Amino acid sequence: MKSEKVMSTGHSKAAKEFLKNQTYAKWHDATFWAVRSKRDNMAYGLDEWEQLREKASQIKRHTITHLDEYLDLFATNAEKNGCIVHWAKDANEFNEIVYGILKNHNVKKMVKSKSMLTEECEMNPYLEAHGIEVVETDLGERIIQLKGQKPSHIVMPAIHLNHDDVGELFEEKLGSEKGNHDPTYLTYVARLSLRNEFLTADAGMTGGNFGIAETGDIVVCTNEGNADMSTSCPKLHIAAIGLEKIIPNYDCLAVFQRMLCRAGTGQPTTTFTSHFRKARPTAHPMHIVLVDNGRSEWIGNPEHWEALKCIRCGSCMNTCPVYRRSGGYSYSYFIPGPIGINLGMLRDTQAHSGNVSACTLCLSCQTVCPVKVNLGDQIYQWRQQLDEFGTANPQKKLMCKGMSAVYGNEGIYNLGTALAHWANLIPSPLMNCGLNPWAEGHKMMEFPKKPFHKLIKDLEK
Amino acid sequence: MSNKEDILKRYRANVREMYDMPDLSDIAAITYGDPLVQFIKMTESVGGHVIEVKEGQDINTLVREMYPDAKEIASNLPEVTIATRNPDTVGRARDLNGTDVGIIRGMFGVAENACVWIPQTMKEKAVMFISENLVILLPKSQIVNNMHEAYKRIEFDETYDGYGTFISGPSKTADIAQVLVMGAQAARSATILLLPE
Repeated sequence: MKSEKVMSTGHSKAAKEFLKNQTYAKWHDATFWAVRSKRDNMAYGLDEWEQLREKASQIKRHTITHLDEYLDLFATNAEKNGCIVHWAKDANEFNEIVYGILKNHNVKKMVKSKSMLTEECEMNPYLEAHGIEVVETDLGERIIQLKGQKPSHIVMPAIHLNHDDVGELFEEKLGSEKGNHDPTYLTYVARLSLRNEFLTADAGMTGGNFGIAETGDIVVCTNEGNADMSTSCPKLHIAAIGLEKIIPNYDCLAVFQRMLCRAGTGQPTTTFTSHFRKARPTAHPMHIVLVDNGRSEWIGNPEHWEALKCIRCGSCMNTCPVYRRSGGYSYSYFIPGPIGINLGMLRDTQAHSGNVSACTLCLSCQTVCPVKVNLGDQIYQWRQQLDEFGTANPQKKLMCKGMSAVYGNEGIYNLGTALAHWANLIPSPLMNCGLNPWAEGHKMMEFPKKPFHKLIKDLEK
Repeated sequence: MSNKEDILKRYRANVREMYDMPDLSDIAAITYGDPLVQFIKMTESVGGHVIEVKEGQDINTLVREMYPDAKEIASNLPEVTIATRNPDTVGRARDLNGTDVGIIRGMFGVAENACVWIPQTMKEKAVMFISENLVILLPKSQIVNNMHEAYKRIEFDETYDGYGTFISGPSKTADIAQVLVMGAQAARSATILLLPE
């Protein structure tokens, strides 16, 4: 399938929508900065934090460059435990495999905990088209499912809605009290409704934060306990996991368990860190679906393979000044923020070039990333290739050509800076208008009478 | 060629440079002068409660005092005599719904983050999550400093060897407007009863 070409300015156009509601935009920015600050408190609370980041990065580098061995070991151990392991080459195969398992067990309704992989594969619409009811059980995911939306953040999927939005949604969908938009009350309403879903579902699906090669465990971290509820009542458990989530052993897991939540939400741990090794005695054997969907190609990309180190904590988006001020829906890929920009480009350069300009190159993302993915450097590298992809903005290309002509020639440059102050005389409405692309989003600067070079030379005299 | 072989072969062929596994034995992980004090502090900070059980004090009386209105109490622990339901003998997991208090056993606690290791030791593990209030019995001598130490000693049960979890405080969420609410989908309160030697 050939995707529609999106030029490199796609994100900034979409962000205009987000910025229309300034009250909300300011709240969004402040909320994520608060999460970033909580992360800092956690990091500063451990003397070994930077050592952990370095170890985590090295473990991941080792693991993803030996992943074929670890995957084989994981699958062998999981099968020894009595699990049924499936391998999916792409999203389509993944959806077919899951549907096949559900059909064999005559499943009508499946509860599931949060999984970005199932978003990646667009599993829910596929299963629903085949007559299976899918109920999201993470509160944020449930909210956006009822609203018919997609997540705007990988850890806080409903962050784009406020308590009034959720209150009105629950009045309509769950019959909550009119006008009662108190978050505690609304959470309780959702709890009662989801409790009924857990008790009546035929199957439960979880993602997996980690797969442990040495033991065959699938490890799932949640605060709500919804992954555990999803697998404690229904008689069938399917775990879906991307290839890169496999790590060697518990010693490695200790490093990541300590960092995941501290980095992502600023908590010392998630409430539940659950290890699923086999089905409970009264249930059918557990199924594990390992999904490639591009990963075996991405590992070969010389500049971008380290994106596979990501543990999906969300800290890069929490800290990103562009994400905080533009929201998840301004990005064309389903994962927003710095990691989403890179994963989107690995997926499809034509469809997702619009995101690479959503970066100030401040590199805050790679400063906080617990596994040291070089996120900002990678975004810079993608930008160098836009022309090759045919997604460079023509206006910006022209400006760059002009700038290299000016900066490459001392005579033209000096003449330009000496005369620039004449531009100050042009009346503001003529300068700050649509004809001047520079004035979009910023006011034209005032040029000094004396250029900087001249100023320094005069001072040196 | 099977999907597995196909995927592994393609992956292997595309790997460019191989990296070594780092040495993890030199991680200078945090330790505490008194891990128990830190464990109690962290449990309270994640929204849990801690009660130190005195020598000779009866757990059943204590739980009754804590939850005077509780009608359904679920446990398979031999020392719990007030249980009205047993997760080993219920017909279906869902029959545990409506449990006011679930009482389970923790093997050890972790000082840095209030995690308690709880392997499945009952037929239906639903009791750990479905109960409105969770009570965890934990010997107070069994506290480790950090997760590195914890992962060196976790063990699954011999009979129920398919599942184990770390629990740190009650179920919680901040998914509605970032307001923290205790009691999302699992237990709304979590109390650690620290048992004497």
